[in-house]
Amino acid sequence: MTNASLSIQGETLEIAHVTKRYGSGPTEVTAVRDVSLSVMPGEVVLIMGPSGSGKTTLLSMLGALLKPTEGSIRLNGVDLSGLAENRLPDIRLRQFGFVFQDFNLLSALNVVENVAIVAELAGLRSGAARRKAAALLTELGLGERLHFLPEKLSGGEKQRVAIARALVNEPALILADEPTANLDSKIGQEIIRLLRKIAKGQGRSVIIVSHDQRIRDFADRVLWLQDGQFQEAPEAAVDTFRPTPMQDTTQLSSEWKGQDHYSVR
Amino acid sequence: MIRLAFRNLFQNKARLLISVGGVALALLLILALDAVFAGVERQITDYIQHSGADVWVSQEDVRNMHMASSSLPDSVARRVKSMPGIEAVTPIHYLTNNIVAGDERSLAYIIGLPEGASLGGPWQISSGSALPGKEEVIMDRNVAEKSGVGLGDEVQILGEDFKVAGLSEGTSSLVNSVAFISARDFEDLRRNYDSFSFLLVKVEPGDSPQAVAARIEAQVRDVTAQTTDEFAEQERKVVKDMSTDVITIMNAIGFLIGLAVMALTVYTSTLARRREYGMLKALGADNRDLYLTVLAQAFSSVALGFTFGLIVTLVLSLLIPMSGSNLELEVSSSSLLKLSAVSVVIAAFSAMLPIRQIAGLDPAMVFRGR
Repeated sequence: MTNASLSIQGETLEIAHVTKRYGSGPTEVTAVRDVSLSVMPGEVVLIMGPSGSGKTTLLSMLGALLKPTEGSIRLNGVDLSGLAENRLPDIRLRQFGFVFQDFNLLSALNVVENVAIVAELAGLRSGAARRKAAALLTELGLGERLHFLPEKLSGGEKQRVAIARALVNEPALILADEPTANLDSKIGQEIIRLLRKIAKGQGRSVIIVSHDQRIRDFADRVLWLQDGQFQEAPEAAVDTFRPTPMQDTTQLSSEWKGQDHYSVR
Repeated sequence: MIRLAFRNLFQNKARLLISVGGVALALLLILALDAVFAGVERQITDYIQHSGADVWVSQEDVRNMHMASSSLPDSVARRVKSMPGIEAVTPIHYLTNNIVAGDERSLAYIIGLPEGASLGGPWQISSGSALPGKEEVIMDRNVAEKSGVGLGDEVQILGEDFKVAGLSEGTSSLVNSVAFISARDFEDLRRNYDSFSFLLVKVEPGDSPQAVAARIEAQVRDVTAQTTDEFAEQERKVVKDMSTDVITIMNAIGFLIGLAVMALTVYTSTLARRREYGMLKALGADNRDLYLTVLAQAFSSVALGFTFGLIVTLVLSLLIPMSGSNLELEVSSSSLLKLSAVSVVIAAFSAMLPIRQIAGLDPAMVFRGR
């Protein structure tokens, strides 16, 4: 990647005693209960857990899409939970990169336009945004697909476009929601490798929420969320919480084979 | 975001066709109706404007021809002719009646022209005489063709037979036509020998029609004198007054059809892209960016519909006269202005519901197919 690596100083994301409740009185439901988490720059954190465990709610709060009922969420030292609603879109645009399960590309725009539009929203002029998007997509092996519509792409290609879109505004944190769910095993692993390479190469933090057991080895930490709280993972689900292996980036990055590696449909 | 609006618009060709076609038809309804009435207004004043007169003198408070009756004594003609600044006067008789040819009846302004009349006669003759002789009529060529008569054939006016002596051009409208008989025949038909309907006045060079009209009104009792333009405007006003309700109702129908089509297509288009808009919100797009996208789609569709409707109307305005119809479509600048305003309102209103829908979108919907 051409982007300058972020300086690694303190936590990118720090959430402290975050709780989210829906409803009130007898219908009150606590989706996330007193959760705390710190994510370092360049760290890849995988959050796993059964359906209904609160992963979506937590992800929405981490992405400044939902405000916690209690607790604080700080991104690069800024308390997001204290910000006015109308300031959050700009924070999301510049500080977060989102990767979704269903790719969520704009069907009417071609590949380069799908990426450039996010840069344009952040204030870049159309020409500069397209050049930046094209460069990013080319680095991700999509140089031959710039003017394709999403419907003409394979699942892996779509997800790489989504990753380029997530990167185009050079965010501090990338949130990936089930990024491998609609991909076959091989392509799914390639996508996770790519996310890890971005994290290690550029110092961006990556939080992945997934059910996919096959990707847990690519994470620096695996967290198990159940009943709205981080808990010890059941043995069948996750072996253990691993320490942050920041040093293994070179090896993992070198596994990225570029365009040819992603020619498989 | 404007690019996104255009791409969204053109991605679904069927939806685009429905919205543009629907709006075009609705606007066509408004524009074509306006054009028809504008054409009728022009046609109905053709005789007045081509009469050659600068001033029209009528019985007091009679200000137009259509559905009006005017009677002036012969003395008025003599009095006006003797006034300074008058080059020529022609007294004409006028009534509205049918020209009957076999089973065909067509409504016409029947004009009684004095012998050698210099004003008020037909201004373009396609064949035959330009001035009617005894028991002769000069009638519109289109009407004659539709009635199946030609030069030398006989038609009936007020129960009397007249021979077609000339065929005139440009003397028919959607409503009626103009036919010319001699003043003597007209007086015999009406058994009225000492009065006429209107006095057509030609002003001497250097004098103004307004000044002459004012002088006539000041010096001649019980008459109304108007310049030709004023008289024609009064005639148009009668048509306008008669058609206002029809135009208003049809405009309202056109507006509602256009609004319904646009509102439905913009709404369904936004609904179909609900998830994409939610995703853009999640990524950090401001609501205003998304509103702009919807508005751009609505305005673009309406602009296309407007253009299409205008083109069809202009093509119709060329084709209809070629078909031999008396109908004339005239697209006026005021009608275009009105249609533009209607289009803007349609576009703005049709975008309101989708904008409300977008405003209420929860960006967190992008996670897990919510």
